[in-house]
Amino acid sequence: MTTDPHREAPTAPLLSVRTIEKSFPGVRALSGVSFEAARGEVHALLGENGAGKSTLIKIISGVFPPDRGGVLVDGRPVDLARPDDARRAGIATIYQELLLFPELTVAENIFMGHAPRAGLGRIDWRAMHEKTNALLASLEIHDLQADRVVGSLSVGNRQRVEILRALSQDARILIMDEPTAALTEYDVTRLFDIVRKLKGRGVAVIYISHRLDEIFAIADRVTVLRDGAHVATRRVADTDAAELVQLMVGRRIESLFPKVTVPIGKPVLEVMDLERRPLTRSVSLTVRAGEIVGLAGLVGSGRSELAQTIFGVTPADGGEIRIDGQQADIRSPAQARSLGIAYVPEDRGTQGLVRPMTVRENFSLAALGKVAFGGFIDRGAERRLAGDGLKRFAVKTSSLEQVAGKLSGGNQQKIVLGKWLANGPKLLILDEPTRGIDVGAKAEIHRLMGELAAQGLAILMISSELPEVLGMSDRVLVMREGRVVAEFPREQATQESVGAAMMGSHENAEKAA
Amino acid sequence: MSEIPLPQAAKRVMPWWLLRHETMLAVILLIALIGLGSMNSRFLTLDNLLNQGRLTTEVGLIALPMTFIIITGGIDLSVGSIVGLCAILLGYSWKVFGFPLPLAIGFSLFIGGVAGFLNGIVITRVKVPPLIMTIATLALYRGLAEGISQARSVRGYPEWFYFIGQDNLFGVPAQLWLLLIAIVVTAIVLDRTTFGRTLYAIGNNETAARFSGLPVDRVKLIIYTLSGLMAGLSACVLVSRVTTTRSDMGIGYELDVIAAVVLGGTSIFGGIGTIWGTVVGLAMIQLLKNGLALTGVKGDATIVVIGTVLILSTLVASSLQRRREGV
Repeated sequence: MTTDPHREAPTAPLLSVRTIEKSFPGVRALSGVSFEAARGEVHALLGENGAGKSTLIKIISGVFPPDRGGVLVDGRPVDLARPDDARRAGIATIYQELLLFPELTVAENIFMGHAPRAGLGRIDWRAMHEKTNALLASLEIHDLQADRVVGSLSVGNRQRVEILRALSQDARILIMDEPTAALTEYDVTRLFDIVRKLKGRGVAVIYISHRLDEIFAIADRVTVLRDGAHVATRRVADTDAAELVQLMVGRRIESLFPKVTVPIGKPVLEVMDLERRPLTRSVSLTVRAGEIVGLAGLVGSGRSELAQTIFGVTPADGGEIRIDGQQADIRSPAQARSLGIAYVPEDRGTQGLVRPMTVRENFSLAALGKVAFGGFIDRGAERRLAGDGLKRFAVKTSSLEQVAGKLSGGNQQKIVLGKWLANGPKLLILDEPTRGIDVGAKAEIHRLMGELAAQGLAILMISSELPEVLGMSDRVLVMREGRVVAEFPREQATQESVGAAMMGSHENAEKAA
Repeated sequence: MSEIPLPQAAKRVMPWWLLRHETMLAVILLIALIGLGSMNSRFLTLDNLLNQGRLTTEVGLIALPMTFIIITGGIDLSVGSIVGLCAILLGYSWKVFGFPLPLAIGFSLFIGGVAGFLNGIVITRVKVPPLIMTIATLALYRGLAEGISQARSVRGYPEWFYFIGQDNLFGVPAQLWLLLIAIVVTAIVLDRTTFGRTLYAIGNNETAARFSGLPVDRVKLIIYTLSGLMAGLSACVLVSRVTTTRSDMGIGYELDVIAAVVLGGTSIFGGIGTIWGTVVGLAMIQLLKNGLALTGVKGDATIVVIGTVLILSTLVASSLQRRREGV
């Protein structure tokens, strides 16, 4: 479905972005950014949140026009006034939030807007299915059927549908914005296989990610942005992680996982044979004061479901939970909170934060009892609570009255963390605490976790990022299909041992996903 | 994870309170008042304005809890039917059951509360969308009212009962005091209490509110019950004002109530709204109706004007919203 890479003399790069400038009222988003991507090149864009990556790709995909500068495809300037112009120029963008129709099938999603037609404007369903199957076959995707409803697919499969959709429109330049943010390691591997195939066909892939290891695994070149300016473009072979981080943040980050050893105390959380079908099956585990327990597993292995059962969102059907040795029958989040449990959920935007509300209101939301007397909120106390939180977690915001949803992902995550710590919990359950946030903020959250553990907090951390699990945990538990299937002390937890336990086998992994 | 820098300029040009929907609406209201007042000398008199306050109390009492409900992203379409049911039960329990009138009033308020509670319990427990549940009870409660009344009206209440609907207290219509107290209480609850904060949190992000340990279901149950209770109170005031009880009382109230709330800047999608906005919305609708009628505009044309004002105010609100968000 792609065009022949040898059709034109490959003298001009496929995509050339020239000195793009873009200002929004009061803010200079991009100041003269240039980069090029050749046929068959994977070009990574790297930068912290707010560095201008998203603005840049929105300009390339025609969402809004640049103030100055331009985009060349095959050496010819293209006018990208609307997203449709970009599509016609062969540019397709896969955003972080996938833009699919969950009620429609794979084939319908792929051909939405350009379905093959039979006479009288009718949709040629047979041709559509045949084309879909051809696309699937061309990328060697065998576990996806053209007539599956997209809503029933895993995140990884949905993303494949988006990629197929782009290919069905003959895209030659594919922009992927944080494609792995919500993927499991297994899905990441499959994504990379597809990216390599696209590369082989001469498609240029603009790849945006916070994860350095991915850039080294897949990219040919990397362009680093900082504060809207082009900092450097390097061949991946000629650089290393330390240099990239330094280019990105403009300073050195001492250590990514500042794990300190702290004395481990009494059990805070004991879970015995906890049941909540289908995804929590006879789970037993213990988390002690000062201990960080990492919970690894594929997406769909039941980790978040377990956390939400402990937290009372979906109360258990059977088994026992003990807090500080006392049996607790937790039926609601409010009850879990009063027992000293805090849960920082996986999905910041929908579960953690009330985005349209202010920073102040978000900070106090889980601790209203602390700032209210007889049901009346003491505004002064609330401001102090939020102000203390801002300082403690170094949240960057213009004011307490700033709308929380406008902050960067890292700052939003710090607020969610802060809102729960305002209650002084004994047990902190973190679900994907650093998903989709930049290196600097990530390091800060890891440092905070270390500090909290040192203060005697028991921490249960769910993470799909193995280096994070291995780097931060005193102990690693692995879940698969709703059960805890393996446990490793810190010394024995390695990429291989934990990875193997997560997978079980490939078939199991796919079923679970 | 929007990285698009947001323009701050709009904020600097105008102070925030000027951009508020309620402020804009109040300004429009003022202009309309002056305009209508200059066209008709009877309009801008204290007597007329107080009388309009009297007429708007029944809708106003319901609009206050409706503001709570709409802020949570819900809706209650059954309020008009609850008014009818409570009015009928007030008259029926007094005349047929032989309840003393104070007890009959209490009984009808109780039934109002029960009707609202029923809405709330099904909405929170069975997770039926509020729109569907209250459309169903809109029919159900009206049907009950008509079934009980059998098209007979009840008249001849004792003289003291007409105080609340027809007399003045300190020179102000008696029922207007009820409305004023209700306004002050609901405004304080919404603005100052954890209950009010929970309403906004539910409307903006119900999942996050639940995950934050807020009593989402209990709060919803309370506001739907309150809505029914206030509809019952509104029924008593209405019966006292018009001195008779009929089963078609309160028909169409739900639309008047929702129009006032939404005109006052409460977002139908939840999360945004104030009691003070609802009060301005109420005043706007009632005074437009009255002012236009006094100026000789016919009834149908008045409705057209009110519809147009509603559309315009929604346009203004959404453009203000965009400005605030800097899109």
